[in-house]
Amino acid sequence: MLIEVFGPGCAKCETLLRNAKAAVEQSGGDHAVVKISDYAAMAARGILSTPALAIDGQLKFQGKVASPTEILDLIKA
Amino acid sequence: MSEACACSGPEAGGKRPAFFGRGGWLLLALPAWVLLYAIIQRLSELIAFRVLGLTPRTHLGEAVAFFFYDTPKVLLLLTLIVFIVTFLQTFVSPGRVRDALSRRNPGLGNAMASLFGIFTPFCSCSAVPLFIGFLKAGVPLGVTFSFLVAAPMVNEVALGMLLAMFGWRIALLYTGTGVAIAFLSGLVLGRMNMERHLEGWVQDALKAPALGEVQEERPTLSGRIGQAVQGVRDIVGKVWPYILVGILVGAFIHGFVPEAYMAGLLGRRSWYSVPLAVAIGVPLYSNAAGVMPIVEALLGKGAALGSTLAFMMAVIGLSLPEMVILRRVLRPRLIAAFVAVVAFGILLVGYLFNAIL
Repeated sequence: MLIEVFGPGCAKCETLLRNAKAAVEQSGGDHAVVKISDYAAMAARGILSTPALAIDGQLKFQGKVASPTEILDLIKA
Repeated sequence: MSEACACSGPEAGGKRPAFFGRGGWLLLALPAWVLLYAIIQRLSELIAFRVLGLTPRTHLGEAVAFFFYDTPKVLLLLTLIVFIVTFLQTFVSPGRVRDALSRRNPGLGNAMASLFGIFTPFCSCSAVPLFIGFLKAGVPLGVTFSFLVAAPMVNEVALGMLLAMFGWRIALLYTGTGVAIAFLSGLVLGRMNMERHLEGWVQDALKAPALGEVQEERPTLSGRIGQAVQGVRDIVGKVWPYILVGILVGAFIHGFVPEAYMAGLLGRRSWYSVPLAVAIGVPLYSNAAGVMPIVEALLGKGAALGSTLAFMMAVIGLSLPEMVILRRVLRPRLIAAFVAVVAFGILLVGYLFNAIL
């Protein structure tokens, strides 16, 4: 799976990135985690508040720092 | 936006602990809150005058008592207010506001945007994506500006704190004038046809086609409570240093600044008191909650209400870090127009209330 974390680079975005990486580690699967901090890319994806997270191109949530467990549930779902 | 990146949106995902797990915890927290709040006054006097052995009615004694009274008071109020506000915010989202504002006429659109600005959760990091997202969905530039002005200016946490600390009259004044400034500045900026002063990449991004639709999940009640608890952790965890600094400044003013001096400097009779309040307020980067103890001490020392409101609005609504973030999307001329219009509105409010109250 491709997990994208969107955010300009503030503390909350970095926390979400860490949580996403932790979730991938716990899942044991081979998922890629990328950080996207380009505003134009965020605008194109319809993101209004950061940090946001998308899995395989589908936006799962925005404006929230999800815990590793929450992200793990999204990966498994 | 003054809540630098401490906001959280409502789009919850994943499982949450059962409601009663959190509910039980909350049922204990509320009585503890009430009990603590009830004993702060006596506790502060006990610490200042008994434990530290200071004398009441001396400069140092009063300043220290103010500090030990205000610190727990502001922190307790902030915790409760952030909990309530974050809980309520799970019912509004920037996406819904954007949809409600898209293709609105100026006028009604500006009015709606100014009101929405009070409660919509969004943080300074989100200012840029939000700005572009609004324009892309067809929200007019002036309406978007009304929202961008109202959101930090009428800060929901500041509103709650004012209500709790100074009563509904000042809370209403603050909200009403903030909404009016946001409405008018958006209207004025919309009339100035500033679209060409957006940065080039923003204009490109606006022309680019959108990729797919964004789905929004409806959070459950336990999800909403979870968000509120998270909000308290994020915001209180982040702003407490600002509050401590604010209380130290407030305590100093309360204990050491003579009333005659303050009444002259920020009094209603001095013509320069309002611009002075704005000039001190803009570069002072603080948080809505951090300003409250200063406001409390200023009002207590006889500063005029209009000047104090102007000071507070300048601190919360026109901060330099916010301008730095907006500079990513706006060319200098548009930033300058934005600052000028908002600052003018704040000055007007200050003079108006100094004149009529």
